Amino acid sequence: MVTLGHYLIVSGILFAIGFAGVMLRRSLIIIFMSLELMLNAANLSLVAFSRFHVQPSGVPDYNAQVFVFFIITVGAAEVAVGLAIIVALFRARQTTHVEDINTLKF
Amino acid sequence: MSYLELLKLAAPEATVAVTALAVLAVGLIRWGETPSNRRSSAFCSAVAGLGLAAAVGAVVMLPQSATLFGGMLVITPLTSLFKIICLALAFFTVVLARTDLSSRNRGEYLALVLLATIGLMLLVGSEELLMIFIGLELTGLSLYVMTAFDKTDIRSAEAGLKYFLFGSTASAFTLFGLSLIYGMSGTTGLAVIAQKLSAQPISPLLFAGIVMTLVGFAFKIAAAPFHLWAPDAYQGAPVPSAAFIASGSKVASFVVLGKIVLVGFGPDKGSAAWHAMISGWAPVLAVLAALSILIGNLVALAQSNVRRLLAYSAVAHAGYTLLGLVAGGRDGFSATLFYTTVYAFTLVGAFGVVALVRRETGGDDLINFAGLRARSPLLAGCMSIFMLSLAGLPPLAGFFGKFYLFIAALRAGENHGLLWLVALALLGSLVSLYYYLIVLKVIFVDEPAQHETSLPRRNVGEGGDFLQRVSLSVPGPLVAHIIASLP
Repeated sequence: MVTLGHYLIVSGILFAIGFAGVMLRRSLIIIFMSLELMLNAANLSLVAFSRFHVQPSGVPDYNAQVFVFFIITVGAAEVAVGLAIIVALFRARQTTHVEDINTLKF
Repeated sequence: MSYLELLKLAAPEATVAVTALAVLAVGLIRWGETPSNRRSSAFCSAVAGLGLAAAVGAVVMLPQSATLFGGMLVITPLTSLFKIICLALAFFTVVLARTDLSSRNRGEYLALVLLATIGLMLLVGSEELLMIFIGLELTGLSLYVMTAFDKTDIRSAEAGLKYFLFGSTASAFTLFGLSLIYGMSGTTGLAVIAQKLSAQPISPLLFAGIVMTLVGFAFKIAAAPFHLWAPDAYQGAPVPSAAFIASGSKVASFVVLGKIVLVGFGPDKGSAAWHAMISGWAPVLAVLAALSILIGNLVALAQSNVRRLLAYSAVAHAGYTLLGLVAGGRDGFSATLFYTTVYAFTLVGAFGVVALVRRETGGDDLINFAGLRARSPLLAGCMSIFMLSLAGLPPLAGFFGKFYLFIAALRAGENHGLLWLVALALLGSLVSLYYYLIVLKVIFVDEPAQHETSLPRRNVGEGGDFLQRVSLSVPGPLVAHIIASLP
């Protein structure tokens, strides 16, 4: 039997993998993918909570599932904006590695 | 609820959205054979300004109070006041964009400013997690592009990228936190969340959700240790973008953060008093505030670029402002709102001076400000008022803001439990006086570098009347307004 706890553990692991990717990887594209993973971890936990949060009438609470659709849309917008910024940066620097992006510093 | 009624209540946001599209269209118009961008961009600014004025009118016409869809759109005197404040800050940004930005693609830039403003208005006027998330993202995505907008400056894209990466990570944290809070309470409306949370003890999962939500907002208000993007974004972005990030985004974030912690998480406040720490969000915010005051003030001492200096001082100011939320209650919230508003208008003014100096001398390091008094007494006078107000010297609005904050914090904890935080903030203010005075010393005492004096001076006075309007109004009416409009 798969319970709410199982879903939450998986989503927690996904979130941790995503965050580790953002912190540790050096390529902007991979960092980007890790960010999406973090968003999807939140999606998974929202859907799981929605499924297990059954209202007295017997139907699950659909609010969170609507929330997830919004998150997917926002995620797509975020990718568009992020890639545009990366392209602008690549035109100026010819690199997508975070170590090379160091004009502004303390 | 008919659509007509909905449109009536969302009229300010709708007005700004229509204006954004109109500005985008106007920016595409070719004026005659020659690519005379100047006329087109002036027209864009005019349309944007008119649209913002119309939106203020629409806010004034709103009913006294209304609630739509379980808090997705809430109208109270408080939200109306802050919508007007956000619109005013957007208006100043539009004016700044006229003096600072090259006239290429002005329409697109102004459309982004307006879209960000819609995000701010949604944030201010919502008490529901989904709308708050969408407001955050709409603001954030517009601001990322505004930061990276200057294609001729290599630092702009870099600043935009750093802002984007930190921002997206922070919003992912917030989102995960919100999902946990939804899971614990089974609802997304703040008022209902408070009811559900008061019925249960604080569990580890709930605490994780609260902390992760706060991480995202700490990023938005640039509180340490989530402030790392701020210096780069303030320095690398075009000046109007930096001004809008520092003012509008910050005001709206504090309003919504206050609503979330005081309304939504109210039952799990805990206590940050030094003799009686109780786990909850108050100790988390207290630690953020203490770190921000320390790091912001100490690092600002070492800066040689004025925008970077303003960024680190912004970190410190975020720390002071959090004091009001840690104190909680009506007093604390109104002190926070008053301080963040005063701070936002002061900072827009300071960035206005930076924009004019930058246009004249081509840079915004401290050296570029040397001898500003001789070149433009008006700008030097404005800058000294802004700096002294940020430092919190008595006759100026910044002093009253700090005063209300500290009093609220002292009164809140029983037995002066928050005394440690207030003492730290007072110490921080003392330290901050040093670097604000350094800026003034450079302006009033230092001799200008030789090659700068030969540059034309005609432009400097142009923004003067704008700055004087921003420069500090009497604090009394504003604080009265804020306190009167609190629920």
